[in-house]
Amino acid sequence: MMKHWMFNCKSVTQILSESMDRDLPIHHRVLIRMHLLMCKYCARFNHQLLVIREVCRSEEMMPGDSDDKRVLPKEACERIKQSLQKPS
Amino acid sequence: MNQKQPAPESHALDPEVWVDQHGDYLYRFALARIKDPTVAEDLVQETFLAALGARKNFESRSAVRTWLTAILKHKIVDYFRKNSKEQAREDIEAIGEAIDSLFDNTGQWKIRPGKWYVNPMKIYEQKEFLEILYKCLAKLPERLANAFILREMEELSTEEICKALKVTATNSWVMLYRARMKLRGCLEMNWFNSKA
Repeated sequence: MMKHWMFNCKSVTQILSESMDRDLPIHHRVLIRMHLLMCKYCARFNHQLLVIREVCRSEEMMPGDSDDKRVLPKEACERIKQSLQKPS
Repeated sequence: MNQKQPAPESHALDPEVWVDQHGDYLYRFALARIKDPTVAEDLVQETFLAALGARKNFESRSAVRTWLTAILKHKIVDYFRKNSKEQAREDIEAIGEAIDSLFDNTGQWKIRPGKWYVNPMKIYEQKEFLEILYKCLAKLPERLANAFILREMEELSTEEICKALKVTATNSWVMLYRARMKLRGCLEMNWFNSKA
């Protein structure tokens, strides 16, 4: 007998990933939540996907970091400007 | 009639102004991911050149800086891809098989996700994490990496991703699933295990 997908971690990981890209139907969300309560590995997996997303989406802020005062060296700056003028 | 012209509009697409306004930012952005300053300079230069070439397609749908940063991200992944010792040989199907091997035939975890003790949001841990993240991204087949970058870094919707990559919605979700699985595994192996 085929077990319901709710008891299948592989299917759950697919649906968890999909839930990050679209809204799931309500019954899927309920079943997923129940699975995560029972299965610590899928709960870890879910947390890890969220960590990855959080880092990817927050990195924009990093260069503004106040103790980072590095600037593009002058020579590089000039070189780049020159290369932009050359019609290549 | 009011003759006043708002200056920023005409400047927005002037490449030299880009260098003055965004050069330092992009350089620091690259340095946070790549240790070698000369490589960082080169990638910033490539970014501006690519932006110059693509200027016509830029519809000011986003801020110039956001647009330039998106180009730079792709350049960084490309750099790691070209310089990676182990070239990504796996095609997209092989990744599907690799995912299968994480589970037994009833769909239970065979290779269980570990506990991540670290917090990559802490600034001092973030830098190293970002470098590994980019290296792991570079190991993905290009199409999967692109799907991932568009979704998780540029925050495009499914609809926009389908248009950009010419795939169906279902297709895009499968691609993103495979990219996330592969990336998660790579991060766990290269970052979280080394810290445990």
